Amino acid sequence: MIHETTLREQLRAYITRELIRDAKYPLENDEGIITGGLMDSFSLAEMAVFVEKTFNVYIPDADLTVAKMDTLDQMVARVLRG
Amino acid sequence: MTLDLRAIGLIAAAAVLYGLLPARARGWALLIASTVAIYLFQPALPIRFSDFILPTAALLLTMGAWWLTRRPADPAQQASRCEDAVSFGLILAVVIGLSLFRFVDAPYRLTPSRPPDPLALAMAIAGLIAVCAGGWYALQKRDLLRRRVLVAGIAALAGVFVALKAEPLAIALSGAWRGATGQDVTLASLADMNLLGFSYVAFRLIHTLRDRQVGLLPVLSLREFVTYVIFFPAYTAGPIDRAERFATDLRALPTLRAFDSARWSEAAQRIGAGLLKKFVVADTLAQGLALTPALAAHAEHPATLWLLLYGYALRLYFDFSGYTDIAIGLGLLFGVRLPENFNRPYLKTTLTAFWQNWHMTLSSWARFYLFTPFSRWLLGLERKPPTALIVLSAHLLTMSVIGLWHGVTLNFWLWGVWHALGLFAHKQWSDRTRAWYRGLNQTPRRKQAWTLFTWALTFHYVLLGWVWFALPDLAAALRVFAGLFGLSVGG
Repeated sequence: MIHETTLREQLRAYITRELIRDAKYPLENDEGIITGGLMDSFSLAEMAVFVEKTFNVYIPDADLTVAKMDTLDQMVARVLRG
Repeated sequence: MTLDLRAIGLIAAAAVLYGLLPARARGWALLIASTVAIYLFQPALPIRFSDFILPTAALLLTMGAWWLTRRPADPAQQASRCEDAVSFGLILAVVIGLSLFRFVDAPYRLTPSRPPDPLALAMAIAGLIAVCAGGWYALQKRDLLRRRVLVAGIAALAGVFVALKAEPLAIALSGAWRGATGQDVTLASLADMNLLGFSYVAFRLIHTLRDRQVGLLPVLSLREFVTYVIFFPAYTAGPIDRAERFATDLRALPTLRAFDSARWSEAAQRIGAGLLKKFVVADTLAQGLALTPALAAHAEHPATLWLLLYGYALRLYFDFSGYTDIAIGLGLLFGVRLPENFNRPYLKTTLTAFWQNWHMTLSSWARFYLFTPFSRWLLGLERKPPTALIVLSAHLLTMSVIGLWHGVTLNFWLWGVWHALGLFAHKQWSDRTRAWYRGLNQTPRRKQAWTLFTWALTFHYVLLGWVWFALPDLAAALRVFAGLFGLSVGG
C-alpha cells in the first residue's frame, strides 16, 4: 500500500527536479502545473512512466490529460486509485 | 450538394420538423437523416455508380466497425439486440430506398447521380454481408483473439484511408474500377475516389476500435454508433467528437425540450457567426486576396506575397472555424452539443498553445492515440533513447500523421514536419528557460514585451507553415519562401 504523504512528496520532488527542472520551485498541491505553463503533455507521459516504475501503478493514456492531471492533488488521487 | 447555404437552410428547416416529432423518435430520425445525408452531401463522381457505392461502402464499414466493438457478453449490449436488428434493417432500407431514385429525374434525386439498380444493389450488399459473416465465423472458430481483430481493423482503416488519399494508389484503384466498368482508364484520377467526409469517418472509427481494445469504449447500440460516426452536421467538416460524449447527448434526446429558446438562440448565434465567417469573410478573402499557386506565380513584390499569405491564414481560419460554428449550431438544433474546434489559435503565444487551440479535436485525437502512447513506449524502454530524441520522434510521428490526414502528399507531410520541428524547438527552449520566464513576473513591462514578441514569433511561424499547405508543388513553395524574403519572386 502506498502512503499518501510519501507519494505526494516523491511526486513533488520528481516533478520539480525532472520536469519543471527547478528543484527549489515551491509547487503547491492545487497549482495548475500544465495550465500554468510549468509542464507539457510530454511531461505527463514522463510522469506516468515514473509512477509506473516507482509505485507499480499504471495510469491509462486516457487519464493523461490536462483536465485530469493538472495538479499534484489530481495526480496523487489518481495514483492512489491504483 | 455539399454543406452550402441551401443545405444549411434545409437542415435548419428540418430541425423544426424534428422538434415536432415524438421524443422517442428523435434518435431514429437522426439515424435516418444522417444516412440520407452521406449520399446528399457526396459530390458526383465520374465512375458510374461510384458516388453511390463509396458512401454505401463507408456505411457498411461503419457497421462492420460496430460489430467489432460490441461486447456480446455485456447485458447492456444484449438488451439492445432488438433495437440493433431494427437499426440494421432501417439503414439497409434507407440505402435501398435511395437507390429507387434511379427511376426519378435528376433534379428531384437525393443522390448525386443515377444510383445502381436496387435489386443488384440488394444482392451485392447481401453477398458482402454473407462473406463477412462467413469470415467472422471462421475467425471465431479458430479462436482468433478479438484484440488482433481490432488491430487488423485499425490497420485496414488506415490502409483504406491511404488508398483513397494517396494519388498513385487512388489512380490505380480508379483505373481498375474504370477498367471493370468499361470506362476510359486513361482518365483515372485522385478525384475519382473523393468520398466526402471519409477523413473524419476513418478517425472516428479508429478512435472507437482503439478505445474498445483498451476497454474504454462504452457499450453502444448500432443506432448510437452509426449516428456518432456519420452525424450529418459534423459529417463534412468535423469536429471529431468522442463516442462516449456523443452517446450521452443521444441518450438525453428523449428528455430534450423541443423548442428550448436558450438552445435555439445559441444555435442561431453559432450558425449566424459561422455563415458570416465562412460565406462573407473567408469567401471574400478567397477572391484573389489569399495565396494560391497561380497568385504566387504572378506576385512581383515580397509585400504582395506577405499580404497574400496573411490573407490565406485568415481565409483558412475563417473558413474552417466558420464551418465548425455552423456544425455546432446545427448540432444544437438537434440536441447534440458537438465539441469546440478552435479557440483563438492565432492569438496564442507558443506553438504548443497554438496546437491546443487549432483544430482541437484532431490535435487531441493525435495526442491521445499517437503522441502519448508512442512517447510512453519509448520512455519505458529498457535502453531508453535520449529524452530529446524521444520528444523529436513523437512530434515527428504525430505531426506527420496530422499533415497526411489532410491529404497523402509531400506538401502536407512537410507542413507536418515544419510544425513538429517548431514544437520540438519550443519544448527545448521552454525546458531551459522556465526559471527565467517566471522571473519576468517581477517586471510586468518586460513580460508584456516578451509576450508580444512570442505572439509575433508564433504567428509568423504558423504563417510561414501555410506556404507548404497552400502550394502542392515543392519548387513553387520554395520560390515563395525565397520571394517572401526578397531573394527572388516568380519564375
